[in-house]
Amino acid sequence: MKAEEIKELLIRSLDENADAGEAARRLEEEGAVFSFSKGFTDKILERLYTSGSAASKELEFLRNLNSAFYRIALTGVAAIVILLISIFLMEGSFSFNSFLGMSDSYDESIIYLLTGN
Amino acid sequence: MIKESYRQEEESELVKASQSGDKQAFSKIVKRYQGMVARTVKGMLGDSVFAEDIGQEVFIKLFYSLSEFRGESKLSTYIQKIAVNLTLNEIKRRKRFFSMFSQKGNNEMYEFDVPDHDNEERKDAAELVNKALISMDTKFRIIVTMRMLQGYSTKETAEILNLPLGTVLSRLSRAQAQLKGILEKL
Repeated sequence: MKAEEIKELLIRSLDENADAGEAARRLEEEGAVFSFSKGFTDKILERLYTSGSAASKELEFLRNLNSAFYRIALTGVAAIVILLISIFLMEGSFSFNSFLGMSDSYDESIIYLLTGN
Repeated sequence: MIKESYRQEEESELVKASQSGDKQAFSKIVKRYQGMVARTVKGMLGDSVFAEDIGQEVFIKLFYSLSEFRGESKLSTYIQKIAVNLTLNEIKRRKRFFSMFSQKGNNEMYEFDVPDHDNEERKDAAELVNKALISMDTKFRIIVTMRMLQGYSTKETAEILNLPLGTVLSRLSRAQAQLKGILEKL
């Protein structure tokens, strides 16, 4: 196929009603072939399955990070619950002042605490 | 082979086996779809070593995201979407890099080595397609790659690119006009 015919085929393949599959097949027959180098599959498998490879180390790191995150999150939730229970037991309510530990303080005593007068 | 189609059951078996660590099963998936990925990546980036790297990244990403694949779409569509996203990201990255460090034109971002052909006419066809594609705007090039190299219908192209059908049709018509202009100069 001459260059002009290929150009015509390329343009026609973009027609709305053209059979794009047929045009693509013809282009491939004419030499417009796109492929990766030999050993492409092996390179990927090596990256994924060889122990000690960057990809498997990354996967292991992500798994460890995930499990560490779950442990930290659970510990954090437990700590918050214990804190809330202890505040409720000591202060008797969940008011803003009880969170600040000032439920028994009067305004005057706060001023005294802050200014010393 | 353009637009590979395989039995859905066979593919879901391959996916399940790959998820459970079967190396051979994943190897089959790579061998089956590497041609399709090559057409997308090399069509968009040119036939260069960078395209080969992006091709590898596509399958690495597929491997890690197989657990998220629910089988609602075809495996080929799922892989194609990964290939398109990674390739578009690479183009954006290159544009940023070249805008910072180089005054060179759009075409300088891409390299291509035309594969060795014993027949001069076949070599010309590959070179012509490569040159035409890299001269096009990115948003047109992706549509042309899907249509011209992969042989997808406009509906399939819209699904893969996550675009409304009307947008695909309008871009296809504008891409055709741009391609005509480019091919006249080649």
